[in-house]
Amino acid sequence: MIKLTRIDDRLVHGQVAFTWVPALSVDCLLVANDKVAKDEFQKMTLNLAKPANTKLVIKTLADAILFLNDDKNSKANVLILINSIKDAATLAAGVSAITSINFGGIRGKAGSRLISKAIAITDDDVPVLQELIQKNIELEIRQVPTDSKQKVESLLDK
Amino acid sequence: MLVSFILITLIAMFGHSEDFLGTTLLSRPLVLGPLVGLVLGDLSQGVVIGATLELIFMGNIKVGAAIPPDVITGGVLSTAFAILSGKGPSIALALAVPISILAEMAISGLFVFRAVFNKRFATYAEEGDYKKLQRLHVLSGLLKPLLMGLITFTALLLGADVMKAFLDSIPVWVNDGLKVAGNMLPALGFALLLNLMFNKKVAPYFFLGFVLTSYLKLPVIAIGALGVIVALIITDITHKSASTEDDDADEGESPVEPAPELPKKTIRSLFFRSLALEANFNFETWQNSGFAFAMIPVLKKLYTTKQSMSAALTRHLQFFNTSPYGSTLILGITAAMEARKSKSEDFDEESINSVKTGLMGPLAGVFDSLFWGTFKVIAAGVGASLAIKGNVLGPILFLLIFNVPHLVLRYQLTFIGYNTGTRFLQNLAKTNVMDKLTVGSSILGLMVIGAMTATLMNITTPITLGSDDTAATLQSILDQIVPNIIPLGLTFLTFYFVKKNMKPTWLLLGLLVVGFLGSILHILA
Repeated sequence: MIKLTRIDDRLVHGQVAFTWVPALSVDCLLVANDKVAKDEFQKMTLNLAKPANTKLVIKTLADAILFLNDDKNSKANVLILINSIKDAATLAAGVSAITSINFGGIRGKAGSRLISKAIAITDDDVPVLQELIQKNIELEIRQVPTDSKQKVESLLDK
Repeated sequence: MLVSFILITLIAMFGHSEDFLGTTLLSRPLVLGPLVGLVLGDLSQGVVIGATLELIFMGNIKVGAAIPPDVITGGVLSTAFAILSGKGPSIALALAVPISILAEMAISGLFVFRAVFNKRFATYAEEGDYKKLQRLHVLSGLLKPLLMGLITFTALLLGADVMKAFLDSIPVWVNDGLKVAGNMLPALGFALLLNLMFNKKVAPYFFLGFVLTSYLKLPVIAIGALGVIVALIITDITHKSASTEDDDADEGESPVEPAPELPKKTIRSLFFRSLALEANFNFETWQNSGFAFAMIPVLKKLYTTKQSMSAALTRHLQFFNTSPYGSTLILGITAAMEARKSKSEDFDEESINSVKTGLMGPLAGVFDSLFWGTFKVIAAGVGASLAIKGNVLGPILFLLIFNVPHLVLRYQLTFIGYNTGTRFLQNLAKTNVMDKLTVGSSILGLMVIGAMTATLMNITTPITLGSDDTAATLQSILDQIVPNIIPLGLTFLTFYFVKKNMKPTWLLLGLLVVGFLGSILHILA
């Protein structure tokens, strides 16, 4: 069961290991990222950060889609981590079980604007987000589980 | 009175300077409360209030951009008002909660505002002007103590008399109700901590701590010591660390080769400057200028031309955020990489930032849970259990238990990072040391929380059973079976709601109401 699909450009870190995993009784962290899946060094650092009693699976986006659609894995309480809106859209297109996407942290870069404390988007992101909204996928901003959900939709027009 | 107000304001400003002082818990109520007490001529009351507030705000932790209520302003003001009006800890607590929530808004505002400086930081970096860059880092850092000092002083000046009149008008029964309610609030702190550590595998250790304290009356400090021993036995960590040393000998591939050529003094300055990592914390680039600030002595040694300095400064102004406690490991590794880059033209400078960003998230998880989840819990448990009786040793032990391991480790990590690069982490990843460390620290943490549940929540029931000669209090019967069962039950009840994702603010209000009603109806005391 997918407990949360989270966009967080730091992938596994304090907020995830420390608040989301216990709050949602997550037992499997799935990092879906093409670059990280091929980078032994990054894999090693992510493994250091995983909370005890939790499995960490690192896969390319394509493999992650296979993994999530595989019935064998339906028993695990999965928290999916991706690091960009684009990857989230790819994943949501391939996995129908993703009905909600949590926005945890996207740092600013050239040409981006902050729509919330820790979420920066670019103009290129807007059509991707609108498409997700049209597909009835909930897009919500929460850093930690106890935050109130803030809808991305309501922040787009600014 | 004006002199006291100024001194209290200085205490609040000192607390808010913590971002310069290595996030060393100097700003916690357990430390600032006694200082306020000292200024107002009632040290022991300050110590007791500090301990009470510490327990309530125990689960109040800072992870990432989630900014908790501002316990510095809330703690200092409420302690001051409570002592000035001659009321006890219950009043301090009733005031601390709303004040800290309000003050948090001012701080969030400041963290948003600071992003304005980022353009200027970038310009200074481009010009290679590290002097101006570090000056701006410090000046922006000073904004927090100045702003919050101003707020504290205004609140004292305008609020002290009104507050006293208001507090004097509170009837005794309300005061009694607040007292009971306040005694219940630590349940929330314990529940929030349990939420981080509690699972079936380590659950027994919570009860071990509880039983040892409840029945055998062991002090919290003894439970801490026992916890260390139990954790060592269970994880068998000493045995495995021997095999880590073997791994050290085998030279693995590492993207970061050691480059020991910078003077020891320069590396040491990474540690000292890392203490100001969070001084310019802002919501756009987080600790970026703090990282650049810490790197400056290294960069000065390596890059002598304006052009190379400018490139290096710009490189280190990128978004950065990690646990301050483990930041020196990344700083050390980065210094080694910079040293290699300065020597060789074809060193890929992109790799510096990719290692930095690769490490900052994972290491934040490791060090935040170790320090917030374990060391701080033990420090607060031991410190508060002494301080709640008015013992000044409480705050002192609190600071020592946390900061001796913190500063020693933080200092060592600078050199480990610099000398062994990422090989240290790769070796660590090969073994299961990290797993053992997390399990061991949750065992230790849970035993101490169990002990605190038994000793630091003073809730009993005044209900009597039977009549006349045979009358016995319900509490005395409970005490014969399971002493402290009421605090235990309350803690788990709160934990249940935390699990249900109820907001801590609501739980806090809920506990206040239950305690208040319980006191009025003479069910709880």
